Amino acid sequence: MRRSRSTRNAPHPPPESGEALRLVEVRKVYGDEGTRVTALAGVSLSLPHGTFTAVMGPSGSGKSTLLHCAAGLEEPDAGRVFVDGHELGGRSETALTRFRRAHIGFVFQQFNLLPTLTVTQNTTLPLKLAGRPIDHAAARAVLERVGLGQRLDHLPGQLSGGERQRVAIARALVTRPGVVLADEPTGALDSHSAREVLELLQETVRGYGRTVVMVTHDPVAAAYADVVVFLADGQLAGRMASPTARAVAERLTHLGDAAQQGIGG
Amino acid sequence: MFMLAVRSLRRRVAAFTATFLAAFLGAVLVMAFGSLSDTGAAEGVAETDRQTLSTMSTVVGGWSLVLVAFAVTSTLTLSVRQRATEMALLKCVGATPAQLRRMVLGEALLLALAGALVAIPAGALTGRALLALLKSTDQVADGVPFAYGPVALGAGIGVTVLGAAGAAFLTARRVARMRAVAALGSAADAGTGGGRLGKGRIILSALFLAGGVQLGVMAATAGPEGFDSMQFAGSADILFGIGLAGLAPMLVRGASAALARPVRRFGGASGYLAVLNLRQRTAQLAAALTPVILFVGIGVGTLWMQAIQNDTSAGAVPTTQEDAIETLNFVVTGMIVLFTCIMLINTLVAATTYRRREFGQQRLAGATRRQVLGMVVLEGAVLTVAGLVCGTIAALPTVLPFSYAKTDDWLPDPEYGIWLGTVAVAVTVTMAALVGTARRTLRTPAVEAVSVAS
Ligand SMILES: Nc1ncnc2c1ncn2[C@@H]1O[C@H](COP(=O)(O)OP(=O)(O)OP(=O)(O)O)[C@@H](O)[C@H]1O
Ligand SMILES: [Mg+2]
Repeated sequence: MRRSRSTRNAPHPPPESGEALRLVEVRKVYGDEGTRVTALAGVSLSLPHGTFTAVMGPSGSGKSTLLHCAAGLEEPDAGRVFVDGHELGGRSETALTRFRRAHIGFVFQQFNLLPTLTVTQNTTLPLKLAGRPIDHAAARAVLERVGLGQRLDHLPGQLSGGERQRVAIARALVTRPGVVLADEPTGALDSHSAREVLELLQETVRGYGRTVVMVTHDPVAAAYADVVVFLADGQLAGRMASPTARAVAERLTHLGDAAQQGIGG
Repeated sequence: MFMLAVRSLRRRVAAFTATFLAAFLGAVLVMAFGSLSDTGAAEGVAETDRQTLSTMSTVVGGWSLVLVAFAVTSTLTLSVRQRATEMALLKCVGATPAQLRRMVLGEALLLALAGALVAIPAGALTGRALLALLKSTDQVADGVPFAYGPVALGAGIGVTVLGAAGAAFLTARRVARMRAVAALGSAADAGTGGGRLGKGRIILSALFLAGGVQLGVMAATAGPEGFDSMQFAGSADILFGIGLAGLAPMLVRGASAALARPVRRFGGASGYLAVLNLRQRTAQLAAALTPVILFVGIGVGTLWMQAIQNDTSAGAVPTTQEDAIETLNFVVTGMIVLFTCIMLINTLVAATTYRRREFGQQRLAGATRRQVLGMVVLEGAVLTVAGLVCGTIAALPTVLPFSYAKTDDWLPDPEYGIWLGTVAVAVTVTMAALVGTARRTLRTPAVEAVSVAS
């Protein structure tokens, strides 16, 4: 049953190129003279299909910016971005939106749910906007999976922070996108709900061959990924395959020290 | 807290433009007509000139007074409500209700005063132009000197400042009463729900409606001579329109119930969002409906009344003067209609700019710019239809009694031109303001639009 659903609903078979996401020397600078901040200082990254990657790094190291650029939500000042083999640069905003609708699911750090829509309506909105048929049973199944089966008709204002976060996750998964970009998707969750969400993300990778990139500050969450990528001051600062929570935590401490020294010197 | 008010004003220039503009234009209008009283009261002005000047000042100036008070009040209410989040945050970090009240009141008074002061020279210029028009149409002797004094300044500054203070007081009281966390919660989905009409609001609206009818009755019984009938009839549509505007949330609900089906059917995803908004953001959309009702009501009512007046006074004066008087009348009523039109644009621009975050969230969920614009257009269409119907109804308490007073017939000659013209302007202006502002708002990248720091 799981199998049939995945084949029936996979709208975009992965192209031959093995890469789900590729960033080439991506730079992003905010502000102007005086308030200039280099959020990304030339980041190159290549993630194969069917992988689960965690992105970690100190606050302000450019993790959200990286995800935004990867999704075409922000335009890099330099560098190129490829998703599923398609280059994002040079497309109009509308073209980017259409592309995103079809290929990318995004969980925002600030959720960005629409306050006037119920949990179900928020979850199915991307399908509605894309003019795709709405599979209510499937939407319901995702919502039940994240533990919101009893809250289908509530408005975001009536939910707790963690519950809103789970709606945002359901919304990102409902279109069955090839690439899921999640910005701290477990940041507001208790350890039990966090585990549920992480297992769900893992399952979308293992069971459906999708690609997940997840920003997190939690070494335990990062350990669910296949690879952890470290970011510091807008630059890649290391990579760890088959991570364990303990190893990740240790690496983060060093990363922090390095950053401190960087500021000191 | 006064410092906080000043700082908050400086940081949010855009958000306060609407209130400032309402205060400024309102004061110009009131000061211009007020100056005619000052001019008439000066020494050495002949009795007939004094009569003409004070009639025009009190008749037309009287209508504009109510209108300006309402315009200032409603724009200020809109701008304060849009800052619910900021106030809730201030409460959370320890601002007391009294401090918040002082902040809102301080801002309102500062804005209103600034608007009124800047209006003084503009009011003088407009007043001078009115006097020149009166002279060129031989209503007033050429030698009468222009005077600008206590009536113009007192009425102009008084009405804007009092209107602003009243609105600030009421809105601030509501904000200050809420518990901090509840305020944050309701601010997070700012504008959702709401629209439930309080008892006080229903009573107030009923009073305005009754006042409009009452003025209509007085106009009908005032007889064909002089300006009495016109004085009463001219304010009838303003009061009745304000009464209807007070019930706007109810009207929005009615209109969306009636039009939801076709909008949803033919609007695609945009229609889906539009209908949801009409149902849930009733309070916000009601704020946009208000000026449409007033513009159509006052536009149709005042211009039609003027047309009846022109018809009946034909032949009473030498034909050479007839055209000139007609021009004068239309210029004067046109100023009021123009004011409502600007208020219409003002409100729609302010209300739409505020939706930046909402638009951003929709786009992040996968809506294209076109889909968001489609939603705005469909909402605008529903509002316009509701505004046209209600505005036309609001014009009746002016037109019917005035016709009866002047011609003994309740039903005046139909003025399709005036109705169609007003409707065309209302539709064009509403859509242009909505779409223009939405397009400009949509230029901000979506990620930036949703970041709270605004
Ligand atoms: N719109 C913006 N304008 C100016 N500077 C920005 C903007 N967005 C981000 N920045 C800056 O860019 C840097 C990277 O920000 P980013 O949000 O990517 O950090 P992050 O790694 O996601 O941090 P966190 O873990 O706190 O979410 C920060 O120093 C931030 O101040
Ligand atoms: Mg971040």
